[in-house]
Amino acid sequence: MSAEVSRRPDEVHSSSYQVMEVARKVGVYFLLLLASLIVLFPILFSLSLALQGSTLAPSLIPDFSKLDFSSFGQAFAQEPNLGRWIINSFVVSLTVTLGQLVTSALAAYALATLEFPGKNIFFMVFLATLMIPWEATVIPNYLTIARDLGWKDSYQGLIVPFLATGFGIFLLRQYFMTIPKDLYEAAVIDGCGRTRYLWSILLPLSRPALGTLAVYAFLNTYNQYYWPLLITDSSVWRTTQVGITAFRQTEAAIFNLQMAGTLIVMLPTLLLLIIGQRQLVRGLTAGALKG
Amino acid sequence: MSAVDRPDSTPARPFEPALTTGLDEKETTAPVVVTGGKDARKVLSAHQRNRRWKDFGWAMLYMFPALVIFVIFTFLPFFQSIYLSFFVTDQAGVPVRFNDVKYYSRILNLDGSGRDEYLKSVLITIQFSLMVVPLGIAASVALAVLATAKVRAIGIFRTIFTSSVAISVASASVIWALIYNPSVKATKWLVDLLNLKTQGLLLDSATALPAVAFMTIWTALGFNFIITLAGIQAIPQDLYESGKIDGANNWNAFRYLTLPLLTPTLLFLFIISTISCFQAFTQFNVLIANEGPNGSTNVMVYNLFTAFFKDTRYGFASSIAVMLFMVVLVLTLIQYRVLDRKVHYQ
Repeated sequence: MSAEVSRRPDEVHSSSYQVMEVARKVGVYFLLLLASLIVLFPILFSLSLALQGSTLAPSLIPDFSKLDFSSFGQAFAQEPNLGRWIINSFVVSLTVTLGQLVTSALAAYALATLEFPGKNIFFMVFLATLMIPWEATVIPNYLTIARDLGWKDSYQGLIVPFLATGFGIFLLRQYFMTIPKDLYEAAVIDGCGRTRYLWSILLPLSRPALGTLAVYAFLNTYNQYYWPLLITDSSVWRTTQVGITAFRQTEAAIFNLQMAGTLIVMLPTLLLLIIGQRQLVRGLTAGALKG
Repeated sequence: MSAVDRPDSTPARPFEPALTTGLDEKETTAPVVVTGGKDARKVLSAHQRNRRWKDFGWAMLYMFPALVIFVIFTFLPFFQSIYLSFFVTDQAGVPVRFNDVKYYSRILNLDGSGRDEYLKSVLITIQFSLMVVPLGIAASVALAVLATAKVRAIGIFRTIFTSSVAISVASASVIWALIYNPSVKATKWLVDLLNLKTQGLLLDSATALPAVAFMTIWTALGFNFIITLAGIQAIPQDLYESGKIDGANNWNAFRYLTLPLLTPTLLFLFIISTISCFQAFTQFNVLIANEGPNGSTNVMVYNLFTAFFKDTRYGFASSIAVMLFMVVLVLTLIQYRVLDRKVHYQ
């Protein structure tokens, strides 16, 4: 949107117009920088506190002549399980991501490519899973996992309930449907098995959708809080999100370590945002359905 | 709009159709018997029926892993929650006595006991949504309009505006707890401005809920920004061109073009944000960790957590869960309506 609209063509190249243009750009950049500062404030705040040493009264802006980076190393010494929490989070998030890719791709393949009786019913069943919010299932799930299966403090307790996702099925089904059906018919006539078609033709063609689901699933699982809080008792089984809030309580007065620890656990998802922003934005735009 | 023509109609954003997830699925799957007219179908029917049943077996096999997970961890527990909500349970979660709808009338203060703490909790949740949703949407519209500026390096600013989606509510809560911590003095000017008795915004019953709400707006900002920006970018540019010819300035273009055409997106965000406000738990558990000063931040999900995890009253907790489900269901159904309108709108 340019600033001036009702201007005669002969005026366009005049110097006053150029001055206006520069002023407009400076104004826009000023607003963009101001907005960035507000949006980034909590991150900058945590960085500032992490670098100020173990003071009890940190200031908002650190003294840049004596920044203290030791807090990042100290956080690991102060909380020996911090490394373990990161490992736990990665094991859980990567396994859930892989599991969701497999279960979603298989189910989406059936719904998008095969013709079978009752397809609409199954479709509605998968649709229904999106209507049921987590708090409507969390109590029986907790009883099943913790009481009946005895999976408290275990990877399977953190992973298994999340191995399927209605969102992933819809995302992949939608993408699979854009791939011409003729390809499937031709492959089957040439003697290609159904599973082999999925593996060797459909999945390689669907890399963008799989990437979107992978980034989305990883981010969501890594950032989980409620379920890991319920299902982990001992410190070694915590994930980063539960761990960091527990760390906050034990180190209530050591601000720099709290903030350093928080920045450490935020790093993987911040990197994921920078590397996989395209996929993430796509996933969130589509996943909005899940809320 | 049928799902058949969706995918190729918007090649640039192949994922957007998932928003309209096959509500009109029946239309799209019915005419898939494509081989010619009625005669051809009759000829092929025996062979095709055979193949359809063979494919049924394969489909079951492919859908089996997802179905098993959903049955065990979504559908069964959902019905168990409803069942449990009518019972008093023991500490292990086993129903011991039928309780009728007493828990429900207790929550809604219909049992004549005059104790309204649960009804109050419903009202606090609504209050929380009213603080978060309108401000959050307004902020995201402002950011999204700013992010459409045609200047160099705008991509970097868009990444910055998106950044809060990558930060978990738990990590954000740990940071905001320190921002609100009186000894850090980050919010001292605000406390002085409001002339509060205590230095801690989270310790005063008048400011605790707004403080959590403000922090929640920040955590949701990245997501709201992405959706709003996508909505603005979907508005055809030639509308602005013709607006320009008609002499519209920037404000008029925003007021009479962007905003009306963005309404469906904003309605959608309104519903989604309200749902997530009703589900918000992490920030309350980290920032407040109890029912708040004078119970001022005791939202429904926190009540559920207390009943469920602290008091092990599984039956009562289930009845709160079912009520939350109803709220979310109503909002979800409205959301589908809104999306339908969005489709017809353009």
